[in-house]
Amino acid sequence: MEKTLSIVRYNPELDSQPHSQSYQVPVDNSTSVLDALLYIQEQLDPTLAFRWSCRMAICGSCSVMVNGIPKLGCKTFLRDYGDEVLLEPLAHFATEKDLVPDINVFLQHLQQVKPYLINPEQSEQPHKQSPQQLAKYRKFANCINCGLCYSACPQFGLNPEFLGPAALTLAQRYNLDSRDQGKAERMPELNGKNGVWGCTFVGFCSDVCPKHLDPAAAVNQGKVASATDFVISMFKP
Amino acid sequence: MTEQKVNSSSTPKPYHSELSAFWWLKHRYYLLYMLREATVLPLLFFLGCLMYGLYSLSQSEQHWLGFVAFMQQGWVIALNLLAFVASLFHAKTFFELFPRVMPLAPAALMIAGQWLATLGVATVLFLMLGAG
Repeated sequence: MEKTLSIVRYNPELDSQPHSQSYQVPVDNSTSVLDALLYIQEQLDPTLAFRWSCRMAICGSCSVMVNGIPKLGCKTFLRDYGDEVLLEPLAHFATEKDLVPDINVFLQHLQQVKPYLINPEQSEQPHKQSPQQLAKYRKFANCINCGLCYSACPQFGLNPEFLGPAALTLAQRYNLDSRDQGKAERMPELNGKNGVWGCTFVGFCSDVCPKHLDPAAAVNQGKVASATDFVISMFKP
Repeated sequence: MTEQKVNSSSTPKPYHSELSAFWWLKHRYYLLYMLREATVLPLLFFLGCLMYGLYSLSQSEQHWLGFVAFMQQGWVIALNLLAFVASLFHAKTFFELFPRVMPLAPAALMIAGQWLATLGVATVLFLMLGAG
């Protein structure tokens, strides 16, 4: 069986704006969008550019818009779609070439929230953590930085300065970690106008997250933390 | 000079697309979100009615009877019914989001608890109005 893949292409050296190009691809029950893209690149058109690496939903590289919804190419199967499928580069990011987005702004936002353990105590001993303490942050800990949530978030689309779902979820993940003491360093970013309060709980980010992290819940739990932080700061000299 | 031109034209320039003002028409998900936010519009009308009623009450019997006549018009009843349905829809979305923001108990329990509390408060208010 064959399906038609309509791919939005853009060559930064030649084109002033993207255009669409169609390819006929043989598919069976196990053909993923990434498989189809690799087929096109190897058999039909070696100029097609896209990102990929692991093929097993771990690396978060092969994110594309499939019929307007952000998806991981390796985890999306053409059997679930009609005869014509539209592939576009990730929404809300600039496009470097064809299906390759420029995710630098997302990487900057990640850095801003310091998504790593901050603990000034230099101890030789391992940090003990109870199952209850682990459960507090574990549900937010499996982010693969695929950027799908940014393409689902209209607030990020309207204001690229908004830290966005993944960065705010990671901030919350480390704030909830009993081994971490960096909350005071992260809160100014979260409290700012591009922090948690930029979120209006559209909730589409949680729907598209391939790791089911529920970033919308994390961001809005961040609002509770931010409000608490504000009240506490009022009583500090 | 020529060399510079070649360089500048061969520098890759990422394509930036603008988000149109109608972004919310793109998906069912965004539409439902906008619907949730738009529930405030019929509620504004209801609040207007409430204010008008309170104002009339403070004026005279004439004013009050005018207010009652206003409230009995078909289109006013229809808009207030819309406000009622809209607030129920908003409550449904709010009650479902709340356990995700403050996970104090199992989500299903928290959602059921909020509906029960709403029902309880509404019943008490109706009984009080009936007694009055």
